[in-house]
Amino acid sequence: MRLLILAIVVTLLLAVTSLFVGVSDVSLDALLSTSPQDRPMQVLLISRIPRTLAIILAGSSMAIAGLVMQMVVRNRFVEPSTAGTTESASLGFLVAAVFVPGWPLMGKMLISAGFALAGTALFLRILRAVPLRDVMLVPLVGIMLGGIIGAVTSFFAYRLELLPSLLAWNMGDFSGILRGRYELLWIGLGCGVFAYLAADRFTVAGMGKDFTTNLGLNYQRVMVLGLVIVSMVSATVLVTAGSIPFLGLIIPNLVSLMVGDNMRRTVPWVAVMGAGFVLACDILGRIVRYPYEIPISVVVGVIGSAMFLFLLLRTRRHAS
Amino acid sequence: MKSVWLAALAAVAFATPTHAQDIVVNHAQGETTLSGVPAKVLVQDWATFDNLNALGIDVAGAPSSNVPGYLADKVPAEYLQLGSLFEPDFEGIAASESDVYFVSARSAEAYGTAKDILPTIDMSLADNSDILGGIKANLVKLGDIFGRQAEAEQLNAALDAKVEEVKAAAADKGNALVIVTNAGNVGVYGPDSRVAWIHNQLGIPSAMADVEDGDHGGDGISMEFILETNPDWLFVVDRDAGTGETAGAAAALLDNELVNQTKAAQEGHIIYLDPQAAYITMHGYQGVMLLLDQVLAGLNA
Repeated sequence: MRLLILAIVVTLLLAVTSLFVGVSDVSLDALLSTSPQDRPMQVLLISRIPRTLAIILAGSSMAIAGLVMQMVVRNRFVEPSTAGTTESASLGFLVAAVFVPGWPLMGKMLISAGFALAGTALFLRILRAVPLRDVMLVPLVGIMLGGIIGAVTSFFAYRLELLPSLLAWNMGDFSGILRGRYELLWIGLGCGVFAYLAADRFTVAGMGKDFTTNLGLNYQRVMVLGLVIVSMVSATVLVTAGSIPFLGLIIPNLVSLMVGDNMRRTVPWVAVMGAGFVLACDILGRIVRYPYEIPISVVVGVIGSAMFLFLLLRTRRHAS
Repeated sequence: MKSVWLAALAAVAFATPTHAQDIVVNHAQGETTLSGVPAKVLVQDWATFDNLNALGIDVAGAPSSNVPGYLADKVPAEYLQLGSLFEPDFEGIAASESDVYFVSARSAEAYGTAKDILPTIDMSLADNSDILGGIKANLVKLGDIFGRQAEAEQLNAALDAKVEEVKAAAADKGNALVIVTNAGNVGVYGPDSRVAWIHNQLGIPSAMADVEDGDHGGDGISMEFILETNPDWLFVVDRDAGTGETAGAAAALLDNELVNQTKAAQEGHIIYLDPQAAYITMHGYQGVMLLLDQVLAGLNA
């Protein structure tokens, strides 16, 4: 518990840092010495606070989505981007952009979430047909499915000359976040809270269908609930900021190494560490090439793939 | 040593009785000899298509994709489709028995393969710091090849005149930032980019002291960046063109509380450039003339 408080404090410190990093001059001095109508306060309200909130919301909800997915699929190496969920959400967003370009973002997000749900359900359906002796086979199947869905998306984007737009949607980036352009992410928070409330069910479901049914729980319903949470989170994050690779994989695994697998205990940890990790990466992306920015997906991708390898090698060593 | 002399002798021996109509073209990747004025012409690049079209030369083959809107009605209804901007369809090119094949920029790598199939000329510009000069040099080169020197001269004079006109209009109108928008993200274009001529050839100073090069999507920037550089003019390349929201996407993106505080937004000095002329063609005569007209219209509005 004391450790968790420490993690929260560190994340809060990162959030405060995030408020003061950027092109405009926003410092405590500037804020106090000028009147509230002046630029520092405006930039803080219009740009910095929304961006910081967006990062926290996206980071924590993506990490929770990864955790829920790992519970539901019962595999440590699954997360939305290794299960075809992200690619399906992206296809849905393309469909929305082509057929209903005038719809508000909320509507497009719902279409995107619908596709994400269908894609993830397809993934689970395929898993039922595959003999799963090796833990690595599950994410492999997911990555292959994602590749196929991604290829379909690319094909249509290519034919419609939307390829650059597609690349940009899939590239996670918080540089365009302003007041009024991130609010959909609160849905992600809602999903996170829901995941927390249903945590015990997911923990039980994580032990298998028979076990769950024996305890008198409706296994199918728990699965569907998990899928809806994961799909909604993936779609909201994709639509507002783009996809953030590896996040849902690394954070739950790190937390599992630290505090175990009881989801009621791990959800707060996963949320805090997800937010803190993305905050740190985004601050880094803003500083490295100041005043230009490096997209969050690049920073998370570089750091995340190194951590992924670490986790992978570590698991192997434990297994042998 | 002996072999070098032999080679030199052979070169002289073969070079002297050259046919009168042989045309030797120096270009970015070497020297290509054409036997007479080419009749069947292939291009892998829309800028060269644009230039040939401006000179009144018919093209038999062109890329199958990314036709810029302003050239759409100039592409023949039935033409040989040569693959994408990056990947030529070499089999189709070989089978077409054409007289000359132009590559450039994105397709420059195809030169190595293509030169063994048919006379190939690379029209790539040496660098982005003198795009307008590069266009003029390319027009002269094409004019020489096709015997349209007079037309090339005319076009170049018109380009010079237009540049002077825009320069005069831009004088003392303040600085500018050239940005590119793409699905909600914004990048800034620098002095080595494909629209560098706005700064270094029209004389419109950059609102930023030193913008580093960002050739493709530009360097990623935030809305705060635009607010802080506070340009007098904002030139926008809207890469989202074709999404159905076309011009609206960039405008909607830039209509926010931070950008609206800049001088450019308050004076109505945000100019949307033809994205295909700026992004896909880059150095085609008609494309640049179109962009210059858009800059001029914006400055005079």
